[in-house]
Parts: sequence; structure tokens; C-alpha cells
Amino acid sequence: MPFKNVRVQIKRKLNGWRIVSLMGAAAILLPILLVFLSIFDAPNDNWLQIKRYLIKDYMVQTLWLTLLTGLLTTFLGVSLAWLVAVFDFPGKRFFRWALVLPLAIPPYIAAYTYSTMFSYTGIIQKTLRNQWGILPNQDWITLSSMRGAVIIFTLFLFPYVYLITRAYFEKQSASYIENARLLGRRPISIFLRVALPLSRPAIAGGVSLVVFEVLSDYGVTNYFGLHTISTAIFQTWFGMYDVESAMRLAAWLMMIVVGLFILERFLRSHRAYSSTTSKSKPLTPRRLNGLPKWSASIVCFSIWSFSFLIPLVQLMVWASWTFETVWKADFFSYLTRTLYVAALSTCIIMVFSLIVGAVNRSRSTFSYMLSKGITAGYSVPGAIIAIGVLSLFLQLDRGLSSVYHGIGFGGTPVVLSLTAVMLVSGYVIRFMATGYNAVDTGFERVGRKYSEASRILGMGMTRTFFRIDFPLIKGAVISGFILTFVEICKELPLALLLRPFNFDTLATKTYQYASNEQIYEASIPSLLIIGISFTSVYILQYLDRSEKR
Amino acid sequence: MNYRTLFAPLLTTVLTAGLLAGCGTDKAKETNNTNAGNVETKEQIVNIYSARSYDVDKLLYEQFTKETGIKVNIVDGKAEELIERLKREGESTEADLFLTVDGGVLNNAKQAEILQPVSSETIEQNVPKQLRDSENQWIGLSTRARVIVYSKDRVKPEQLSTYEDLTSAAWKGKILVRPSSSLYNQSLLSSFIELNGPEKAEEWSKGFVANLARTPEGNDRDQAKAIVAGVGDVALMNTYYVGLLMNSKDTEEVKVGESIGVFFPNQETTGTHINVSGAGVTKHSKNKDNAVKLIEFLTGVEAQNMVTKENFEFPVNAKAEIPELLKSWGTFKTQQIDLGKLGEHNAAALEIMNKTGWK
Repeated sequence: MPFKNVRVQIKRKLNGWRIVSLMGAAAILLPILLVFLSIFDAPNDNWLQIKRYLIKDYMVQTLWLTLLTGLLTTFLGVSLAWLVAVFDFPGKRFFRWALVLPLAIPPYIAAYTYSTMFSYTGIIQKTLRNQWGILPNQDWITLSSMRGAVIIFTLFLFPYVYLITRAYFEKQSASYIENARLLGRRPISIFLRVALPLSRPAIAGGVSLVVFEVLSDYGVTNYFGLHTISTAIFQTWFGMYDVESAMRLAAWLMMIVVGLFILERFLRSHRAYSSTTSKSKPLTPRRLNGLPKWSASIVCFSIWSFSFLIPLVQLMVWASWTFETVWKADFFSYLTRTLYVAALSTCIIMVFSLIVGAVNRSRSTFSYMLSKGITAGYSVPGAIIAIGVLSLFLQLDRGLSSVYHGIGFGGTPVVLSLTAVMLVSGYVIRFMATGYNAVDTGFERVGRKYSEASRILGMGMTRTFFRIDFPLIKGAVISGFILTFVEICKELPLALLLRPFNFDTLATKTYQYASNEQIYEASIPSLLIIGISFTSVYILQYLDRSEKR
Repeated sequence: MNYRTLFAPLLTTVLTAGLLAGCGTDKAKETNNTNAGNVETKEQIVNIYSARSYDVDKLLYEQFTKETGIKVNIVDGKAEELIERLKREGESTEADLFLTVDGGVLNNAKQAEILQPVSSETIEQNVPKQLRDSENQWIGLSTRARVIVYSKDRVKPEQLSTYEDLTSAAWKGKILVRPSSSLYNQSLLSSFIELNGPEKAEEWSKGFVANLARTPEGNDRDQAKAIVAGVGDVALMNTYYVGLLMNSKDTEEVKVGESIGVFFPNQETTGTHINVSGAGVTKHSKNKDNAVKLIEFLTGVEAQNMVTKENFEFPVNAKAEIPELLKSWGTFKTQQIDLGKLGEHNAAALEIMNKTGWK
């Protein structure tokens, strides 16, 4: 009976999980859609100017920047992950987690710090000049260029690749590597012919995070005077006062990123990467001796210094110069606000990620579209999302104004638009991808056999989720939580645009100082952001270690 | 459909929504209080969207609250973003005052119809006509001059004359400037469009770019450092950065400040380009009187003294005291144009910059 069939079909497809996913996705997609729709508006004169003078240059620079950063982060992240996962050398236990720490320093803070250090009055030139009378060529020593941006992005984003790839080497590829060792392969050969091909999805996952971060960055590129699509969006907005064209550019940027997603999916199609054994045995590291032993330590230490220790020490020195004038009781409120908003947003992101992640395990086209849709926010510059969110909330407020009057809120019909709700929504939309990708990777790693077994044995989707799936991916959820939390603490453009009156976060405070060219003063809020991120990363590592035991 | 299948995800959603709402109502109550407060208890406030956020501003607001009992609330941000926010908020806005650091942007705010005229005798006495909008939709709070700074070792001030002269062959490979994305440069070029017409302005930009010592990079202070490092001999810079360099906590920066000279160009002709930072009352302000009071306070002698002393900007109020450093640069003739024109020509200026390859 066809009617009954349809009902059964609907009943099967439309369970609570799917309904919630759809509702949530709609809420997330609405502001992004508002941005995207601008592609269909008629282009204006500015758009012609943009096409004529800017687009080509901007596309080329964007391409170079992402390509070079992508390649270098892959190289650095994968080789360090390999070194730490497969070998034993002095300091290894420390570097294993310390190499994640560069994530604690937002690239824009790193850019301010390093370019000031390398400037004419910075510590490096000052020492060269005053101690040894050396006047280096300014063209070579300044960082404000493509070269500088690539260096900064590489040094401070490589941990994304490192973190994911290392976990993969340590847990998933152990049996393959051990087998290859037994069969007499040399380490280099194992790396190139076994580990690298196997870890492709992990590497791709890490690099895609790096690429999205670079594509939507405004802080570093603007500071170094690069012309990327993201800076073009802002130049169109600020220089030409043309938000419509800016949104059109953002929509194109979004298309490029979705294209990248599809490409990645295409490259990985027909491959399942879940592990074959039920309990993967961790890899036993091999002890290094002689020269390689010390070289490994030195390499790790120098990279760690450049990407964490040196900028941190420099910021501390500047903080000591400005502490008396800058440090005020206000900072406590910036701190608590930053933490509160970030924690709340992250909770929402993780809960929703789990729901969509569970739905997406069927890997149907529907669920794929759903998962890509909700993570699209990561590719759009924060300020553009902010405009989408702002428009949406203002419309909501207008729609709800009679309700407000009904329940006795006098005055203007603005309630939602003036509260942290708007900011939290912006964060959720922008950083859904960070949380969701972690959950999704977790699900992918576990595979489907346990939940399928559970479903075959008669458990419902909900029961299966709480009894089987969740315990298996708990680790991924926690690391997703922490990564997202850190990202939000560092976030700048959304906070600048969507926060209510007298609501400063540490990032907005840093921005205020830096935009006034008060780099030394910016060091104190910067250090607080780094402190929060550091603690989070430390907890992540601690949990990871206790899980291993 | 089994209840449990529906229940679990819905419950989590409701819980999160509750959490969100909790965070919302807190703030909502606060806003509600301020709104209700206006009506019932007359708690006086003024809400500012500000793209000008120096530490000295905070001190000024505190002083204002102390004197008048009016509480000052602030959202800081980029001017263009705040304008867009005000546009989208329309009547619903809570902002009373918009503050920024560029005449062009102030004019854009006016064009976007988010400001309203104010009439106050005090303001008109405090601020000369040239530093106010023709309808008082914005009022200048301080001015800054975009001047030529030069290496005291390699350049004699006699060699310098006008902005136009910087395009002559004598300066080939010797000029430094920050990127075109800087509003200061856009406004400078806009002033040339206003004074000399778009063709002359384009010609100037072309010649200027051809004489650059390097691709524009860094901020204003970086240009001063590059002079001392020997990359180039002269640079376009705002005056107060020289003041900030000379009063820096970093001795190396002080040395840089001391090795460069300030030259006010075009004294025989059109005058030195100045820009203004200013404030305007928003069109849908709910605390207009308080907003006007704040502008009166900020343009008063006491506040003007503080701004000049702390930030090395030029005061708009003629009665304000000028610090020694500013006096040492001497008095100068300024460009006599309607500062609102800076915004009107902004798009054209940007197009010229793109066309002539000012990166």
C-alpha cells in the first residue's frame, strides 16, 4: 500500500534527531543565507571597479598565501608529529604536548609582536645596531610582506596539523608501522610508503583548518598590507562604503571554500578509514641514539621557541613596561566575560554537533549537505557573519516588538539585539565547524559497526547514542570543546561588532590598543588570552594522558 | 514515533535554549532597567558608539560622569562597522553619540542619515566653524595634521616645500608612506581632488607612487623608523605620532622621534592637510540632551587641555593650552576646505589609488 509506505518512510526518516538537526541548521544557515543571497542582487558600479582593478591581484595573493602556508604547515606539522610519535629522544615527553602551545597565541597578536621585534626599534635590530654596529637591510628584516605572513601563519597554525596527525600516528597506524618494522623497512621508507598515505585524511583535516583560518583572516593580512580576498571584502566595505559588494565578495569566498570541501570529499570518496582491530595498540616509540638523538631535541626546541617561548617572553617584557598604566580592575570583568561567553557558545556548539554528527553517520547526501551547511560559517570572515546576524536579530526584534510590549518591556523594541545573545549566536555560527569536525572525526574513527550492531539488536537511535556512541567518542568531544573554546576566546571581529554596551572582551581590548599603535599596552590583554588558551591546551593534554593510562 | 527518540534531542535543545535565554534575560533586564529608568527614576545615561578609543577618552568620560552624574556607556569598534550597525538598527538604536577620527567618515555618517543636527551655543563658541559640519551634524573634537617628516641628517627643511613637490625627480626612491588602506592617505588624496580636481590628483598620485622608496607597508610610526633606518628620506605622517614616539617608554623610539623633523607643507599655497576627529548625535538618540552635554564637555577647555597633553593632537578650542612640543613645531596655515568633502571624494580617491598602483 503506497500510502502506508510513505508513512513508514517519513516515520523512519523524521525522528527527533533529524528534526532538531534541521531546526538548528535553519537557525544557523539563515544569517549565512542572507550573505549568500547578495550574489543574486544586480552588481553596482563599485563591483565593476573591483573586478577591473582588484580581483585578479587579490585572487593571486590569496592563492599564494594559502598554498605556501598549507604546504609549510603540512611539512612542519607532519614531520614533528612523526618525530614525536615514532621516536624517543630527550625532552620528547615535554615537546609532545608543548608543540600544541602555539595555538594559544592568536596569529594577529603574533604578527604585532614579531613585526615590532623585527622593526628598527625592536630588540633584534637594536641589539645588532648597538652591540655590533650592524645595520641590516630593511627589506630583508621587516616582516610586513607575504613572506612575513606565511612565516607567522606557519609558526602559529601548524599545531592543527601536528595535533591531528600525531594522534593518528600514535593510535591508528601503530599496527601498520610495527608490521612494516618487522618486515625490515627503514624508518624513512615507513614514513613515506606507509604512514603518509595512511594518514592522508588526518593531514587533510588539519590542513583544511589552517586553510580556512588563513582565508578568513583579517588581522594579520591587514597589518602586513597583503591583498587577499578577505582584505578586499573590508576595503570594499570601509573604502567604498559598499556593504552589498562586500557581501558579494564574501559569498564568492564561501563558494570557493565549499568547492574545496567538495573536492576533498571527492578525493576521499570510496575510502573508509576506520580501524580494523577492536582495540588499536599504541605505538612503541623507538629510541634514538647519537647525533639524531640530540638533533631531534634541538629541532623541537627551536621550533617551540619561535612559535611560543620567544613571543611570550617579549610580551611579558612589554607587559612589565606598561603594567602600572594599563592594569586596572576592569580586566577582571573582561576576563570573566570572555570566559562566560566562550563557554556558553561552546556548549551549544558541542551539543548541536553531537546531534548532527549522529544524524550524519548515515552518510546520505542529505546529511552531508546538512553537515557542510552548518559548518559554512568558518569560511566567512567574522565581520560579514556579524552583519548577517545583526540583520536577522533586528528583524526578529521588530517582529517581536508587540510581544515585548505585551509583557511589559517599555521603551524601544530592542531586546535581543542589545544582549549577549546576539554575540553568542554569532560565535555558534562561526565556530560550528571546529566543534563539529572534531565530533565527526570521532565518529568516523569509531566506524559504524558498534552502533549498527546495537541497532540490529533492537536498540533505538537515542539509546544507541548514549550507551554506545557517546562513550566511544568522548575524547573527541572534549578536544573539540577545548579547541572551540580557545578559538572563541581569541575571536575578534564578531566580538567587535555584536557586543552590547560596555561589554569588552580581552580580544576587543587588545584590538583597541593595537589599532592605536599601542603595541606595548596591548601586551597585557594578549597575555591574558594566551593564559586562557594555555590552560585549555594543558587540560587537553592532561586528559589525553589520563586516557592513555 | 517513539517518545524517547523525540525526547532526548529535544530536551537537550530546550536546555541549551534555556541557558541561552538565561544569559539573555540577565542582559535584557539590565537594558530594561535603563529604559524604565529613563522614565521613572531619571537615571541619566549617554550611550556611545566610538571608533576613537584612547585611554585619555576613558578618563574624560569618568570626569564627565563625576561632574554631571550622567553615566557613559560605550561600544568601541571600527567606524565603518558602527555606521553599518547604526544604519541597520534604525529607530531601534540605543546609541546616542557616534565618535570617530576622520572627517570623511563623519561625513559618510551624515550621508548615511544616521546623525541629526544639534544647536548649542556652547559648542558653537568652543569649536570654530571650519571644524564643524555645516548643519552641526558632527562637531570636531581634535585635529591632526598630515605632514612631511624628514631625516634631520640627510634633508634640510629648505629642500621641502609642498606635497606636489614630492613628485619631482629629486625625491625619486626616497619617499615612504603607509598603504592605501589607511584612511589618512585616502583623506589626503580626497583633499587634493577637492582642491585641484580629479585629474591633477591622479597625476600627483602617479608621480608620488613612482618616487616611493618601497612598497607601502606598516603604520605611521613604521615610516619614521624606516627614515632613521635609511630606507627613505621623507615620509607622510600624522603629527601626533611624532609626539607619541618622543614620549615613548622605549628609548629606541624616543631616539627615532628625535632624529626626524616635522615640516608643514604648502604654507605658501593651499595649506597643510588637516583631519578631524569628531562626534555626532545619532538620529534616533533617546538621550539627546545628555549627548549634547557630553559634546559641550569634550570641547570645553578642561577636556581639550587633556586631549592635547596626553595624545599630542591639536585642540579645536582656541582657548586650550598648547604643550611645548607642539609649540616647538610652530604655527601653520591649514587647508581651507569643507572637511565633509573628504568623505564625498573618498570613493574617487580610492579608485585613483587602485589605478595608480598605490598598494
